Amino acid sequence: MPTYASLALVAVAVSTLAAAPFYLSDYGVGLLIGMSGYVTLATAWALFSGPTRYVSLATVAFFGIGAYTVAVFSETLPYPLVLLLAAAIGGTVAAVVGLSTLRLAGVYFVIFTFGLAELVRQTVTWWEVNITGTLGRYIFLPFEGRHIYWQLLALLTVTMLIGWLIGRSRIGLALKAIGDDEAVAAHAGIDVTRTKLVLFVLSATIITLVGAIQAPRWTYIEPSIVFNPTVSFLTLIMALLGGPMRLWGPMVGAVPLFLLFEWLSANFPNHFSIFLGLLFILIVFVMPNGVLAKLEGIRKGAAQ
Amino acid sequence: MTLQLEVANLQKRFGGLVAVNDVNFSLQAGEIVGLLGPNGSGKTTVLNMISGALQADGGRVVFRGTELTRQKPHRIAQHGVARTFQLVRPLPTLTVAENVLVSFAFGRYRHWGREAEKLVEEKLEFVGLEGRGRERVGNLTYIDQKRMELARALASEPSLLLLDEWLAGLNPSELKTGIELVQHLQGAGITILLVEHIMEAVRALCTRCIVMNAGQIIASGPSAEVLQQKEVILAYLGDDHA
Repeated sequence: MPTYASLALVAVAVSTLAAAPFYLSDYGVGLLIGMSGYVTLATAWALFSGPTRYVSLATVAFFGIGAYTVAVFSETLPYPLVLLLAAAIGGTVAAVVGLSTLRLAGVYFVIFTFGLAELVRQTVTWWEVNITGTLGRYIFLPFEGRHIYWQLLALLTVTMLIGWLIGRSRIGLALKAIGDDEAVAAHAGIDVTRTKLVLFVLSATIITLVGAIQAPRWTYIEPSIVFNPTVSFLTLIMALLGGPMRLWGPMVGAVPLFLLFEWLSANFPNHFSIFLGLLFILIVFVMPNGVLAKLEGIRKGAAQ
Repeated sequence: MTLQLEVANLQKRFGGLVAVNDVNFSLQAGEIVGLLGPNGSGKTTVLNMISGALQADGGRVVFRGTELTRQKPHRIAQHGVARTFQLVRPLPTLTVAENVLVSFAFGRYRHWGREAEKLVEEKLEFVGLEGRGRERVGNLTYIDQKRMELARALASEPSLLLLDEWLAGLNPSELKTGIELVQHLQGAGITILLVEHIMEAVRALCTRCIVMNAGQIIASGPSAEVLQQKEVILAYLGDDHA
């Protein structure tokens, strides 16, 4: 239940986070951008993949679509329109992909989404090389770090709000039922295909916006940067660590992992992926349902 | 008597095997009809085609004047046809109450909020699970999971209920309770098609029986007569008993 106290707490937390750039160095603001970006990615990913258990590796496909839309249109269209366009493109791609693939179950869906990300990357590369004759693109938008951070913070707040509303609504119940047993869900009256499609499109649209908002940060982008599959894997592992079935789970996983990865890539740039792999294995073995579920289990155990 | 369900020339093939071959029958409102037959005779396949889990290769299913053939399962549920499963299929991450709520929220009349919570509580009480709504389904005993599944099927507020061996695996006293529950449903005006092996239950519940063997209907009529027929006994028990 949304008590006034918890609403006030959220308001205080958001304003504190919004004020943070005034007290931090440029490096600090850079960290906040990366962190809020990944928290939003992981939360948006879990909106669909958490309850339905359809593990998507297409995160970077949509992220990259967002970034490229900004790179292509930022000089010809006003910025808010570019964001809208990015969301529309990401959402449309998700709808087309979702309609054709959400029938795939389990591992086939995982493989397909991974392939999709590669397909989008190769298509963009081919287009840039053969049609436009350039590979990279420059983005000149008059944004400082804190402007980007505020946009991400706003997107994250909206995403959390959406997640909270879904959790209390009919569609949230439908998603959980689908994750448990699609056939039973269908026989109970749930339009399984439509429910999955709506959530997939919603999740992909938010992910596209993260890519679009973060794009000006790089100034120069090319397919290998914005379509880097590591983004998909990091998003997945962050959501898994915190627990993708809970609203706060992805955030709980994303914050420490983002800081850890920052530290690792600064200190062990060549061994980064080894740590990533080990961590993956560790999380899946030790707490397959995430930290929050583990803590809950411990608390219940202590209470008995 | 009003016609509830009409099944005409229903066909289903799995590869070269004809699982259901030219099956015809109809159900009148408020009837309890048994669908009998040895394992593999096509009973569950018929149930699956009525509920939309399987697509028929031929024939029609008409429910209260609406063509259900080739409709999706959720549409069929919303039209007022509910089912249980041969092996209980609870939704494990949901509580008992949430399992039942799913059908209220998406079934025929789409209830939500306080009203739906109250309805869930009533349904749980009806099947004998009062006050257990907050429990995880995994903690329920087998009979209680069966009760929960019945409550979930009833929560979509059907006028036709398909029970697929819902009484199987119960001990004698549980069976008695189960039979009484089904009788109460009939009292509430629900038409029931019952796939069942337990003869005691069939005799107690079904006014009519339809017997299948190898994908075809081999006998149908009032239970007392049908269960005496030589063909039926043969199909079930083999030569020695005929």
